[in-house]
Amino acid sequence: MARRLLRGLAWVAGCRGRKLLLALVLLGLSGGNLMAAGGGQPVTQPVHVVDTEEMAPGVTKWVAEVYNDNLWLFGLLVVATMALEGAALGFLFDRLIGMLGVNLGKIEHRE
Amino acid sequence: MQAFNIYLPIAGIEFNVLLLLFIGLAVGICGGFFGVGGAWIVTPALNIFGFPMPYAIGTDLAHMGGKSIVSTIRHGKFGNVDIKLGVSMIAGTTVGMELGASLVMYLERLGLVESVIRKLYVAFLLLVGSYVVYDYLSHVLRRRRAARAGASPLERRTFTQKLQRLRIPPMVEFRVSGITCSLWLPLLVGLVTGVVASVLGVGGGFIRMPALIYLIGCPTVVAVGTDLFEIMITGSYGALTYGVKGRVDLIAAMWMLLGAAAGAQLGTVAVKYVRGYFIRLLFAMTIFLACASVLMKQLEFQVASSILILVAGTAISLVILILLVRGILKERAARRGLQDGFWREPDG
Repeated sequence: MARRLLRGLAWVAGCRGRKLLLALVLLGLSGGNLMAAGGGQPVTQPVHVVDTEEMAPGVTKWVAEVYNDNLWLFGLLVVATMALEGAALGFLFDRLIGMLGVNLGKIEHRE
Repeated sequence: MQAFNIYLPIAGIEFNVLLLLFIGLAVGICGGFFGVGGAWIVTPALNIFGFPMPYAIGTDLAHMGGKSIVSTIRHGKFGNVDIKLGVSMIAGTTVGMELGASLVMYLERLGLVESVIRKLYVAFLLLVGSYVVYDYLSHVLRRRRAARAGASPLERRTFTQKLQRLRIPPMVEFRVSGITCSLWLPLLVGLVTGVVASVLGVGGGFIRMPALIYLIGCPTVVAVGTDLFEIMITGSYGALTYGVKGRVDLIAAMWMLLGAAAGAQLGTVAVKYVRGYFIRLLFAMTIFLACASVLMKQLEFQVASSILILVAGTAISLVILILLVRGILKERAARRGLQDGFWREPDG
């Protein structure tokens, strides 16, 4: 499982190597970065509640309900959605730009 | 335009989808090209169109994680991501950010935080921008002199080379960047950029990208790709921490990411057609515009400052798009030439 996860990350970065394990560890470490960069400590004041009563059923209502019910779950949903959407769109646009006849292999580093 | 308005339940406002796509596209192009997160464009742009500031910051950070994945995938396939270097730096950056936060608190206790940080920010942007322009101009002059003499340009000994020659174990080879140096160098550079980013309250891309070039000695495109790799990791954590605080409008972030993913792809591919020094020059222009925006904000011209940054982001994105289209056309023409029996190296 861990090997698969590493391979997945290697694919994302387009590279190979065990050093990616370190990247995973540093994902946790980078927490400090964001805290310091403006995230700060968790808020103590209550977050507002979204009124979902009059909302039509759909994705927006579902997202609002998750937001109201559990902020930790909402946080995880944000990360998962952004990662999956980013990976899917990256794959899609990569294909599209390849169709323009652009050579998408390794490039020479010209200064 | 009303037809494109959607309700954003968490921010509690109606917002135009086309605007979200457009902001995403512009910041995606700049981000993929320069290796920056682009908070300097997104946050004021969202805010000026009615997004409450805390949600503008959180939504920006959330989409940044997704957008950096797109750019990192493409830069990785181009061979522009030095994971070993990125990992070495991020450890130093983390410690640096914490030290910077402590320094800010100390300045706060002295009552100096506002005045000191504002001045530092403007001075820092001016310094970095000016150095990049100076470096570009001296590079151009060297090339011209060499062309006149009919020789290849002489590479001068740089401060980076001096840093690389410090033989403090462990020595590490960063193969993608093509450099061998003491592990302490990226760690220390990460630490310093972390402190500066934390004190100035910026994400770090604006600082790390030039630091990777001028202090570590990375080729420009590797600096861009490696910086995006770091942003991918920190951006993902940013999405989580702001999400948990309830400051992310997920619907807005999803729409913005759609535009940003397209932009990131375009900006990243544009790097292929441009020489490293030209990326640096455009980056310096961007820094000056960001600096002008900060100055205007200090002079209480809030709206004008946001408009300036939005217009600047759009203009820079357009320049990058023009470079991309020109490059693609040249590449296709060169390939056709090859098929017709002759080959001409595409310049640019």
